[in-house]
Formats: sequence, C-alpha cells, structure tokens
Amino acid sequence: MTPSGLHEVLLRHADERDLTKRAEYEAVGGYRALTTALRTDPGELVESLLASGLRGRGGAGFPMGRKASFIPKPDQTPNPIYLTVNADESEPGTFKDRELMLRIPHAVIEGIVITCHAIGAETAFVYLRGEYATEFDVMAAALDEAHEAGYVGPGIAGTDTNVTIVIHRGAGAYICGEETALLESLEGKRGQPRSKPPFPAISGVYASPTLINNVETIATVPTIVGMGGEEYAKLGVENSAGTRLFSLSGNVVKGGNYELELGTPLRELIYDLGGGIPDGRALKAVIPGGSSVPVLTADEVDTALDFDAMAQAGTMLGSGAVIVIDERACMVQLGLRVAQFYMHESCGKCTPCREGTRWMVQILRKLEAGEAEQGELDLLLNVCDRILGNCLCPLGDAAAMPIASYVAKFREEYQRHIDEGGCPFGGESSLEGVVAPVDQHHAHLRGQIEVPIHA
Amino acid sequence: MSAPAVELVTVNVDGREVQVPKGTGMIETALAAGVEIPVFCYEPRLGPPVGACRMCLCEVEGMPKLQAACTLTAQDGMELRSAQTSAKAAEGQNAVLEFILLNHPLDCPDCDKGGECPLQDLTFRWGPSNTRMHFPKRTFEKPIPISPTISLDRERCILCYRCTRFSEGVSEDLQLVAAHRGAQSIITTFEEEPYRAHFSGNVTELCPVGALLPSTYRFRARPWEIDNTPTVCGLCPVGCNTWATTREGKVQRILSRNHPEVDDGWLCDKGRFTFDHLRAEDRLREPLVRVRRRGFEAVGYDDAVREVARGLREAGGSVAIAFSGGETVEQASALARLVRQGLGGDAAILPDDLDPAVDAFRAPLSAIRDAEICLVLGDEPVMERAPIVDLWLRAARRAGAEVVTVGPAGSVSTPPGSAAATSAELAGGGGSDELRDAGRRLREASRVAIVWSGDDHDSGRRAATLAASLGLGDGSGLYVLPRSPNGRGVAQAWYEAGEGRGFDPSGEEELGALIVSGDEAAYDPRVAQLAERARFVFATSMFTGDHTLWAHVVAPGTSYLERDGTVVNLEGRAQRQRRVVDPPHLDELELLARVGTELGVPIAPWAAEATVDDHAELAPRAQLEAPPEFAPAASTNGAGPGLELVVYRPLFSGPGVERVESLAFQRPAPEIELAHADAQARGIATGDTVTVGLNGSGRALRAAVRRKLRPGVARIAAEHADGLGSHVEVTKA
Repeated sequence: MTPSGLHEVLLRHADERDLTKRAEYEAVGGYRALTTALRTDPGELVESLLASGLRGRGGAGFPMGRKASFIPKPDQTPNPIYLTVNADESEPGTFKDRELMLRIPHAVIEGIVITCHAIGAETAFVYLRGEYATEFDVMAAALDEAHEAGYVGPGIAGTDTNVTIVIHRGAGAYICGEETALLESLEGKRGQPRSKPPFPAISGVYASPTLINNVETIATVPTIVGMGGEEYAKLGVENSAGTRLFSLSGNVVKGGNYELELGTPLRELIYDLGGGIPDGRALKAVIPGGSSVPVLTADEVDTALDFDAMAQAGTMLGSGAVIVIDERACMVQLGLRVAQFYMHESCGKCTPCREGTRWMVQILRKLEAGEAEQGELDLLLNVCDRILGNCLCPLGDAAAMPIASYVAKFREEYQRHIDEGGCPFGGESSLEGVVAPVDQHHAHLRGQIEVPIHA
Repeated sequence: MSAPAVELVTVNVDGREVQVPKGTGMIETALAAGVEIPVFCYEPRLGPPVGACRMCLCEVEGMPKLQAACTLTAQDGMELRSAQTSAKAAEGQNAVLEFILLNHPLDCPDCDKGGECPLQDLTFRWGPSNTRMHFPKRTFEKPIPISPTISLDRERCILCYRCTRFSEGVSEDLQLVAAHRGAQSIITTFEEEPYRAHFSGNVTELCPVGALLPSTYRFRARPWEIDNTPTVCGLCPVGCNTWATTREGKVQRILSRNHPEVDDGWLCDKGRFTFDHLRAEDRLREPLVRVRRRGFEAVGYDDAVREVARGLREAGGSVAIAFSGGETVEQASALARLVRQGLGGDAAILPDDLDPAVDAFRAPLSAIRDAEICLVLGDEPVMERAPIVDLWLRAARRAGAEVVTVGPAGSVSTPPGSAAATSAELAGGGGSDELRDAGRRLREASRVAIVWSGDDHDSGRRAATLAASLGLGDGSGLYVLPRSPNGRGVAQAWYEAGEGRGFDPSGEEELGALIVSGDEAAYDPRVAQLAERARFVFATSMFTGDHTLWAHVVAPGTSYLERDGTVVNLEGRAQRQRRVVDPPHLDELELLARVGTELGVPIAPWAAEATVDDHAELAPRAQLEAPPEFAPAASTNGAGPGLELVVYRPLFSGPGVERVESLAFQRPAPEIELAHADAQARGIATGDTVTVGLNGSGRALRAAVRRKLRPGVARIAAEHADGLGSHVEVTKA
C-alpha cells in the first residue's frame, strides 16, 4: 500500500502550470508518449494496455486493453475503425471528466491519438455532454493547438498515422452516456440504446468497429505509455490498478475532485481529504459511485475504494462519485429524488424501465406523503426486483439498485413513514447538496408533499 | 449450380432438440421446436430485432441474465428455456406483462381491437388476473387523427415502436416518430403534419394493440360478427393478397394477407381504403336505356339485354370494344368471344398489350429484394404505378443492392420518353459513360432486377430484348409494369378469342357498335372520341359519368370486390379474386351470358371453379422463342418552347378513389414539379405560386422544386394537366 493522501498521476503538474496550453503541457513531458507510441507496433500498445490493468473509468470498469483487443484489425474489416470518447458525463454526483477536460485537455487528445494508433482508427469522436459549454471551448482550443503542432491531422509527428478528431455536442440526455445510445445520437438518431450483440467493437458507429472509452480512461493512456503498462499496474491494488479521480460531494466540508490510488479507504477521502461532515453532524450514508449504485451505511465507511472491495460490500465503484449523506437526510426523500431522476431520464424504449421507473416514483411519493399502506414497501421492492436484469440497457438497473438498497438498509425509516402516516423528520430533513433540487426541499412537510410527477 | 450448403445447428428449447439453419431467429427456432414465445415488438419484416418490449425474455444456458429471445440467433448447442419451463423466465415475462398493462386502459369492451388483439390474447394466456397498480393511469388526449384514415389512441399504445420502425425502415417515409422520453414517450407524426404516405395504413395492422386504428373501422364491427374473405386487390397490377372483412353484407375494411413472393404482407392505402367506393352515391343500380336524345330510363334486365343484342346485331360486324383492364379474365374472355366469335368484330382498345416475351424472364417480385443491382427505366414513378414494387426496390437497396434509375428524375438522367432508346443503348453497350458503366455492372451481376415503368411503345418487347442482351438468368427478373390491374389477363383473353391481336379501332371512320367495358374505359378520352363515331354504344360502369351522355345502353358494373374470377398480375401470376359481397344488381358475367344467348355465343354466367389457390404460385418461365430483334428507337421527346411536361398518373386517382372522401388528402396537390436549375433561373422556390401555360394563358399551380428532376423537364399529375400541352412555360405568379 502506498501512503495515504493524494496520488496525482493524471493531474500531476496541473496545479503548477496551465496545462491547457500546449507549450506548458509539452514542458512537463506532454506529447512525448504520443511520439513514442506512434513508433510502436499497435499490437504492442494493446499488450501494454492489457498489462496496465486499466479498467474503464466510466462506470462499468471493463478492462480497456481487452476492449481494445476486440476491435478487428484494419485488414480484417472492410469498414473504417472508429474511436469514440464518452464525454457525456451525467451521472448525478460525477464531475471528474469535466475537470480533466478543463485542466488537461491535451492529455485527452494525446490519449485519443495513441488509442487510434493502437486500434487502427483514423477518426475519433468526442461525444461531449451538451451542457458542458466551457469544456467544449477548452477542448476545441486545445484541439486547434494540437492541430497546429501536427499532433492531430495527417502524418502525425512525421509518421504515416492520420487522426481526425471530431467533438460532437450532445443535446442533454443522460441516456446518451450509455454507449449504444451515444452511437445512435452520434448518427443523428433518437438517443436510445441498441440491442447487443452486435457489440460496438464489431458494429458501432455507422455499423463499423468502434471502441468507446470514457474521458478519464483515455486521458490515462499517455501515462501508461509513458511509464509502461507493468509499472502502471503497480499503482493501486489487485484488480484495481492505477489512480482514479473521485468526485466528492454532498454533506462534506471540502468537496471536489481528488485523485487517489485505488484501494484508498473511503474514510480517508471523506475525513482526511474532505474534512468530514460540516458542523459536527453525523454521517448517515455514502453513495460511493454515483447515484445509480447501492448505498453504504456509516458503518461501512472503512470500505476501500476499489472494485473488489466495493463489490464485496454489495455496491460498486461506478463513476467514482462519492456522495456523502449526513444525519439530516430522509432516505425516503432521497429515494424519491433518485427515482425521479431516472424516471425523467428513462429513454422509453424498453418496457420495464419506462413503466417501472414511473411506478417507483408513484409509490415513493405516496410513501413520503405518509399515505402508503402496509405492503407497499414490499411492492416497491418487488417493482425494483422486476426491473432489475430485465431491461435493454443498464438504466433500469441504475434506478432499481439504489432504491432497493435504501429500503434494505434503512427499512425502519421507510416503515415509519407508513406507521406514522408521515415523515418522521417532519420539516427538518435536508438533502441540500446531495441530489435534491432545491425547489423540492421545502415541501417536505407532513401531508404537504408537492413533488411534481409528470403524470 | 447448386445452392450453398446450409449449416444446421442443434438447439435445445425447453428440453426439445431441434435442428435449424445456423442464424435462424430464436423465436422461429422455438416455434420449430413447438414452443411459442410471446412477442410484441418483434416483427422480422421490420428489419433487425430491437428487443424493446422484453416480452420474450428467456433463460439461456451460460448467460446470467434473462435474454430477449428475439435478439438471439440459433447457435449450435444453445440451450434455451422459455417461461414454460423456467421459473426465472416466467417471472421475467410476468414482470414485463405487468409493466405493459400498468398504464394500458382497461377498455377492451370498448376497443375496436378487442377480440383480435395480441395484448388481450397474451394477457388472457399469461397475464395476471388482477392489478397491483392503484395509481391513476397515464392519460392523453384521444383519439388523435394522425391522418383522415388513421386514429391514434396514445393511452393504449405500448410503445413497441413497430409503427415508427415501419415508417423509418420499410416505407422509408420517415413521418411517424417517437417524441419525448421515458413514460412520456408518444408516437406522433413529424412536426404533427398528417401522416400522408402511400403505405400509411400498414401501421394499423402492425399495431399489436388498439392504438393505431383505421378511422374507417372505428366502432363498425366486432370480431365475432365479421367474415374475412381471402381475395386479391384489383386496383393496381401488383395484385396484393388481401382479406376483405365484411359485416352484414358490407365491406368494412381490407387487410393484407401476406403473400411472401408478392407483397410481403404490405398493402398500400389505395388497396386498403378504396372499398368505400362501393357505397358511392352515384352508383348505378339498374340498366339504363336512352329514350330520348338526352334522357335515360331505368329498365329491367330483359329489356336491356334485348336492346343490347339489337344494337350489336345491327352493327353488322363493325364492332369495337374498349377494355378497362380491371375485368377478370372470365369477363374479358366473355366480352372477347362475344365480339370476335359472335359478332365478327376484331377491334379492341387494350389498356395493356404486353409482349409475351417478357415471360422468359419471369420471376417473383420478392426476387427484387435479393438482387445485386436493380435497373429502373421509364418516366412513370414506380410508386404511383405499382407501389409494392417500390417497397421491394427499397428493400433491395437496404440489403446492399445498387439501384440505378434511368429517367427524367433518375440517378442516370435521361430525357422524357427515352426509355426505349436508353434500353437499346444499354443492350448495345453504348450510350453515355454513365450508362455504359451501368450496363457493365448489370452484365457482371448474377442477380439483376429490371423494372420498366412507362407507357413507351412496345415496352414489353424492348424490355425482353434488353433482358436477353444483359443475359438475365435464374435469380434475375424482369418486371414490366402494366397500366391496369389485369391488363395482362385481359389482353391474353382477347388474343385467345380470335386470331391474334386484331386491330386498334382508333383509325376507323365509323363504327357499327362500341362496347365500353368499365369505368376506366368510359373515362378514357380516346374512347369518348370513338363513341362519337359509333352508331350504338353499350357501356358497363359502376358510376355515372360523361359516358352516360353518349352511351345508348348503360348497365351497372361491379367492383373487384363483387365478382369471382381470375386476374393476372404484373409478374404474370394468375390469382383468384373472390366475390366478397353481392353486387346490388346482376354482375357483368351474368348479363353477358344473357346477351350471349341472344347472339348465339355460349357464355357461362359464372367463373369456373377456381384453378388457382388463394396463395397463387408463379408459373414457370416461358421459353424465349426467338432472340428478340434488336430494334433501334429514337427518343420520343420533341423540342418545344419552355419546359417539357411529363404527365404521370398518380396512384390515388381513378373512378373508385375519387369517390372516397377519406382518401381525398392522398390525392396529388395542385402542384408542378420543377428542376432545381429551372426554378432558380425563374426565381421560384418550393411553395411559390406559379403560372403554368403558354402564350400568357395559364393556370396557377404550386411549385415543388426537385433536385433530382432533369433540367428542362417539369412533372405534373394527370389530373392537374388538363389542357396543358407537351411543353409549358412556368413563371412566378
């Protein structure tokens, strides 16, 4: 284990210099990995990615090297090969990709070019979340600079590698962060997931082989090339190599992005780096990987931030968004807010998600209002269960899993809403800074719930 | 040539082993094993499966999660367990059905789909008997008329996306779309414009619930009080197979009846909605005999038959007949024998006169889909003449075929009326570079489809010449689109009743008698001219029209829904048309039998027992008797001032359609299509009002600018071309 505290690999030098400028980036060794990589055999690069143990940073944690190895070689396919960077960061609580794009855009671009070379792609798309306007400007400016310097375009760095990068802005749909919905949207269609197989590696954008990776994953590639896959694998813990940016938010003193080695205990992030809970309040729960993952209780705060430890605790590292919840929070209200988000973002393509998320919201609203009957808690759990695993894409699961975990871990609190005919917190609960839209907060009064449901 | 060996794989479904070709869809594989997996969104005719409704969730050995069976294909050794043997799959399926029913209104007793509704059926078989949903269901304004023919009930919609997939991936009209998101998703038309497309009605059949219904069928009948009669559409030369639904002796709707080689289960809106013409107000119900110069009297059939026999007898052999091309073979044969054998006449106006040489390249329409390259020749838009052919061409393109269209709006642009000349160039390997290249690709391909859509002189023989010169073999097909629904059958009946072709009466000075068979013929201005020179005119027609001014005897005619008989479609496929409802009068064949008796020509008053199945097979190819002569042809277009006018006959036209109010919106708008360059030179944009005519006198029409149209050419629907010459000047009004 490494010593506790920050371990900045991606963000090294980012505090000292303005790395959005190419010259500054170059001054700290930027674009050196690109020059090396373009003179390396693509197969070797993929081997190095495999050896690094780098797992996807978007949420699912699939090993990047393996994903890249699924892409057919250019001579095995009549179609062009594409790289698509998923920059549609929209999981509640997650704000790491925007920091990377704002502070080290050249690392993202360098990662793209290296990855393109590794898989034989000549075109890369960056699918950027529509609301990320500044990020777009910064990325576009960096791309211009990279063009001027010959790091992007035809005949990069004196080799015969050509890479074109297109930044495509989304239109504000969470679902377009799902890789196949992203591809549909990129093609100009309604953003709805595709049925898999065929997987994007075989038939992705424009029915061509497509590698899709998260911004952070791609931004890590130059580092891996620079230090060597095996060296990178020494960072972190078994099955969870490297560092990650954790987006710390919620009821914590110093929220923000923290780059940590994987395997760092959650407690260290929240208390040592994040300064703990404000005003001496008690910790109630932690959402460790974005709003779609099962919750951890205060007792589980010593869980390590790595894939296996989280899995053992029955949850997931997800997008690395750690949301801290203090004692003021009503878990029913939290459930309602989270469910409302997923209902709102369900694309409507498959039945269980479209209908189930709405039903969940209806039941939760009734619970919160203190109007639920005995048995409706079990109904809620059953609805979650009936969504889970039955949907076309992970969005349905993303709605069902957290809600089911809130009920499982805070069942007594849910039950009291029924037994007492209202919220036991009265008007005193607060989800401020957690996931709640502020305009819904004041209505959390007994019998006065006015949570809009788009009926 | 042997077909490539099909690799068989063994799949286990619910403990039953079955062998199917590798890659067979799992729904079909399960059926082969005798297991029905319920589906809503799955419909292979709509393209790749989407796995949206999740009704078909099954357990697959080796996969942790339930899988949508519709998205899987058969692989060797696969083990699938459906809801019938897997508790997990059953739970998944129950979950999905509960979710589907969650917001679906419980209005089955009130819903026109009730009784023939897949959702209702599957709910009865697998669904819960009560609901756990105690919240208000989602409501929408309803019904929404998305067009004058289709009503949308969004509350009933289960969002299977069949309709939008049809619009996007089959008819490619791109008008039906999904809007909004999640539980608020709705089906709507693009920009909320009416769904105006030739194939729009198919979505009412694809819909697995009562969300999309034909407005004409709302509250008209219940499934247990209707009869469905298998028949064949008689409105265009495709001959789509249909079911005609009747209740209490009245046709209430037309449904498609999938013939995979002919229509693939699609039906155009003309075929689907024109049945209402049966109830047109101006239908003739009794024979009419002219009594004074301008007057008619309704008479009994005895009088009418006597009058007809007299008029024909007195013609002294100078008898001509004008066919509509919609008659059954039996009707046409009776008429032909009456004229050629009974009266000694030999003159006929045939709407179609296709050279039998085309039968040497006969192939089912479905072969178009499998072609590597398709060639479309001629000025008439395929969609307007034989709409299903257009769907097959689209399917071919989606499957990767190259579709070369040659004509004034084609991918290879040629002047109007030059199909014959172009075909000669293609056959001879000459012409422009573009054409020569296309010819080379056509020769190299082993599966070719040639579609000829025009009224060019002698198109059948020319098309056959082209096909022969390109070496069309098995797997390729030639499709010459006739003008009329049964033009091929009618012509054949005419030939068989006498010696050869006979002659065209147009050149005759005077005629003893003229027989006008059907409304289409009665509408033909050429026939009207002929009638002026005839001493006696006997017409049969469904409706009144101009001909009632010049005919001497008019007998009421029947619709294709009111008679039994054989029709021959553009492929040369003989199909069975059935009497769906009784006509309100004697049908033509019975009348002709009685006239025949008077004139000594034995005619059976009914069509003989059917010799063809309700799913008719295509006869084998004919031998090409002699290599057709290579006949050079000149383009028929002539020079003139202004723009050359191409007049086409729109699909939504003709005596039947014109009497159906709900189809009025489908008829072509009063507009003229202009080439982009011509429009620009005149400062005209789409939507502008333009004056069309010559020498200052003109009419106002709306302009539609088409990028594909050849400069110097303007195109217009026949019904708006009245009085316009072959060339027009177009100016911005």
